Amino acid sequence: MALEDYKVDMERCSQCSYCKWIPFDQVKSWRFAKGCPSIAYNNFLSYSARGRYAVALSLLNGQSTYSDRVVDIVYKCTTCGSCDVSDKICRYNLEPLEMIHELKFRLVEDGQVLPQLTAVIEHLGKENNMMMKSGANRGDWAEGLDVKRIPGESAEVLFYAGCRFSYDEELQETARSAVTLLKNAGVDIGIMGVDESCCGGRAYDMGYKEEFTRLAENTIKAWTAAGVKTVVTPCADCFRAFSRLYPPLGAKFEILHTVQYFDRLIKEGKIKFSKTIPMRVTYHDPCHLGRQGEPYVPWEGKEKKVKNQIVVYEPRRPRYNGAWGVYDPPRDVLKSIPGLELVEMERIREYAWCCGAGGGVKEAYPDFSSWTATERIEEAKSTGAEAIVSACPWCERNFIDAINAAGEKLKVFDVTDLVKQAI
Amino acid sequence: MALSREAYRELEGIVGKENISDDPALLDCYRYPLSHTAIHIGPYYRVYTPRGAAVLLPGSAEEVQGIVKLCNKYRVKFKPSSTFWSAWGFPLEDDTIQLDMRRMDRILEIDDKNNFAVVEPHVIGATLQAEAMKVGLNTHIHGPGASCSCLASATALGGLGPDTLYMGHHNENLLGVEWVMPDGEVLRVGSVGSGLGWFCCDGPGPSLKGLVRGMIGTNGAMGVFTKCAIKLYPWPGPAPLPVEGKPPAYKAVLPDNFRVYTLGFPAWKAWADSCYLIFDAGIGYVAHRQFSMFGRDLKGAMVRILSDPTKTLSDIEELLKDPEVQKMTEDMKRDYQIVLAGMTPGDIEWQDKALDKILEETGGWKVKAMLEPDLYNWSLLYMIRLGHKNLNLVYGGGYDGCFGLGGTPDFGASGEPPRVEQATAFKVEWEKKGNVVACGGDAMMGGIGGMGGGGHALWENFTHFDPADKASTEGTFEFFNATDKYGMEKGFGPGMEKMNDYARWTDGKTTPKEIRDRILGAAAQPEAFRYQRKFKETFNPNDLGDGYYRTLDDPIE
Repeated sequence: MALEDYKVDMERCSQCSYCKWIPFDQVKSWRFAKGCPSIAYNNFLSYSARGRYAVALSLLNGQSTYSDRVVDIVYKCTTCGSCDVSDKICRYNLEPLEMIHELKFRLVEDGQVLPQLTAVIEHLGKENNMMMKSGANRGDWAEGLDVKRIPGESAEVLFYAGCRFSYDEELQETARSAVTLLKNAGVDIGIMGVDESCCGGRAYDMGYKEEFTRLAENTIKAWTAAGVKTVVTPCADCFRAFSRLYPPLGAKFEILHTVQYFDRLIKEGKIKFSKTIPMRVTYHDPCHLGRQGEPYVPWEGKEKKVKNQIVVYEPRRPRYNGAWGVYDPPRDVLKSIPGLELVEMERIREYAWCCGAGGGVKEAYPDFSSWTATERIEEAKSTGAEAIVSACPWCERNFIDAINAAGEKLKVFDVTDLVKQAI
Repeated sequence: MALSREAYRELEGIVGKENISDDPALLDCYRYPLSHTAIHIGPYYRVYTPRGAAVLLPGSAEEVQGIVKLCNKYRVKFKPSSTFWSAWGFPLEDDTIQLDMRRMDRILEIDDKNNFAVVEPHVIGATLQAEAMKVGLNTHIHGPGASCSCLASATALGGLGPDTLYMGHHNENLLGVEWVMPDGEVLRVGSVGSGLGWFCCDGPGPSLKGLVRGMIGTNGAMGVFTKCAIKLYPWPGPAPLPVEGKPPAYKAVLPDNFRVYTLGFPAWKAWADSCYLIFDAGIGYVAHRQFSMFGRDLKGAMVRILSDPTKTLSDIEELLKDPEVQKMTEDMKRDYQIVLAGMTPGDIEWQDKALDKILEETGGWKVKAMLEPDLYNWSLLYMIRLGHKNLNLVYGGGYDGCFGLGGTPDFGASGEPPRVEQATAFKVEWEKKGNVVACGGDAMMGGIGGMGGGGHALWENFTHFDPADKASTEGTFEFFNATDKYGMEKGFGPGMEKMNDYARWTDGKTTPKEIRDRILGAAAQPEAFRYQRKFKETFNPNDLGDGYYRTLDDPIE
């Protein structure tokens, strides 16, 4: 699809403002009713899905041209997809998140880029990671781990650590724990270590589609050559890239997030807990595991009209609105840990507030990114929880940074960390 | 005349650099597409409201006051809007300053002893309702739904909606206003103006409620309302609402003191009689002909789609073949939805009995299919939160109401054949041309009990079209022209389809004076607009509002 293909959506958008809020049925308070971090922080209408439709239409119609403000509007979006869920409460046929991606792609094609993102992407092109680190050190996180190395050895399941867990020294232990837990539960698991490269998902959300495609095709090729059938990842960003963005490029692998695998193993009795963790925690749904973690459904078709002017699709088009994301497995894992009390925030599941780390925002707009994380931390604190738990290293890093900057006491855990503690 | 750099800098000095912009692309976000639905003047294919000179995001009444004074100094028009629903909130002229009231979004007070809330402009129905429910209260949410500004509907627009039966029009609920007048002075209207709190808009203190808002409201054309007090009503249910299910088909299971029914009737007279009996009995919390907006032939299939997260519009043709859906659709032909809320167990028991008696007397029934748990809990949440109101746009992206048979409940139901059937037959013929959704002619939606708990009903016949399709848009416009003519010939009175012609014209800008004068001069009470001219001369001497404030220049007779 090209940006022009969304012109009918731009004209059909009714300016209802739903894109700015969580679904109204789910509003429980004034304080935590907002859904889109971008307009919540920037306030002008242009920083909402509706606004981006209008900006795109203005550009396509030649009514305006690129400016610093336009670049700011387009890139200051975490691509969290909150708008996509809320819009589809009423507007079944709009695809705001897809359009925002296309708008970013167009700006990159036209050279309207941010230097902060250019630097990341240039490094990615050379070293195949998003962390501005040497590709040669990608496997260091697993040093000393007794685990198979693919492709030299074969394993039933590939553990894919992802860039953040591979390089973030404060978080690496989580990845090591995940491998150990899976292995001890009897899973025949292997890692690619230095041969693993970035999934490309974050480049996609920044607007660099070509770079994403290069990385995705390389990964698909490497996995295919190694005979990989099943991939498990502890990173929500990677999970969404593999499960939603790779299949259109021909990928046919079973993709699981570690929380899904843990949930399965706990229910099968292959992971058993022996310790109590007397702690009250709240769970943050990562956008890419929750609302954007729905399974990919192949579709090729076209729009048609029935009853004169009702817009439908032939064949029936899948609707991605967060209904079938991964929400229960992480909660079930946490609930199964002895002593742990799970309390919910107001904005959860498909209408969870974003952590603020996505879409290139953490790299290009650190203040906005930090504010978004702080909003979530305030919401977590309002539950009385001692810790915020998640299933994505990017969310966890952003929370840790915001908590440290504010001098807060809230603890941050990955689900894996608590599973390990309880064994 | 574009905004001078000097004026821009002075405005920037008031709100700060981050809260003002004149970037062309950003300004284009503050333009409303009249191809879509102009409420109610078009639709005009690919016509937009004018581009403003700058957009400002004031953060306080003091900042608003500073802006308005500068606008007077430089003779620049300004237009405030809170949640930007429809063309009303957007400028009528090029180079107008658009005030986006979004930063003023606080609920300042909820007084649970005296049942009112004090709010800023960007507080919406959903958030005020959620907060009010925590203390056993509820707010009226007007027709456009939970996304819209409470202040705008209470101070500057009509403010009626499905719960008007119990909670009134919002003009009735207004208990006080802080008003930055068009000359930049601040006036606190009602008891708050005398320092006595926000309990009464008519004093003790300056009582200018009628001037400030009247019945329809000033549509942002007479200064800026920066806070207001709104009356709240009892809520005998839980907080928060116990919502469950997958999107978009959320549902709520409420305690046993709540009921939601879709009532069907054998004839329109029985329909109207039931409304009167409900008014007389004093029962009901929300009452609206709601799901009829999807059309007489399609509403059964649509409620099935909307209450099931696995279904999409692509399922509609298959569902229409289902005999059970066909039966349900027939049962709902002459219908409305009603929510009963018992304040005590005895109250709900009595309301149930009263409703059963009303149905017995009128020959009406509770539509059985709508009692199935999924549909029941879905429709209960829908009616209470009004969080799905933009489903009127689900078909093709555009809708507009026409006819607007407003009056007593039997106004639409009487005549031979009943006016509602005349309007239906007329629309069915136009549906055959292919430009609007073929939904069975009757997509008439509206409350059954406006005006303080009874006496008024509205039949707004929804017309659905595709705003991205030139033929559909232009065909809809032709239909509205024909509807207007037909309605006047038949004695239905002026329809909704042209009700804003007096203000905004085909190019999206101010209606030419001679046309405006003709429209307003032909109104039932044109003298009111001559008085409003005097008000404008007094309160808005530099004429910095716009044509949404209705005035006539010829002398008062």
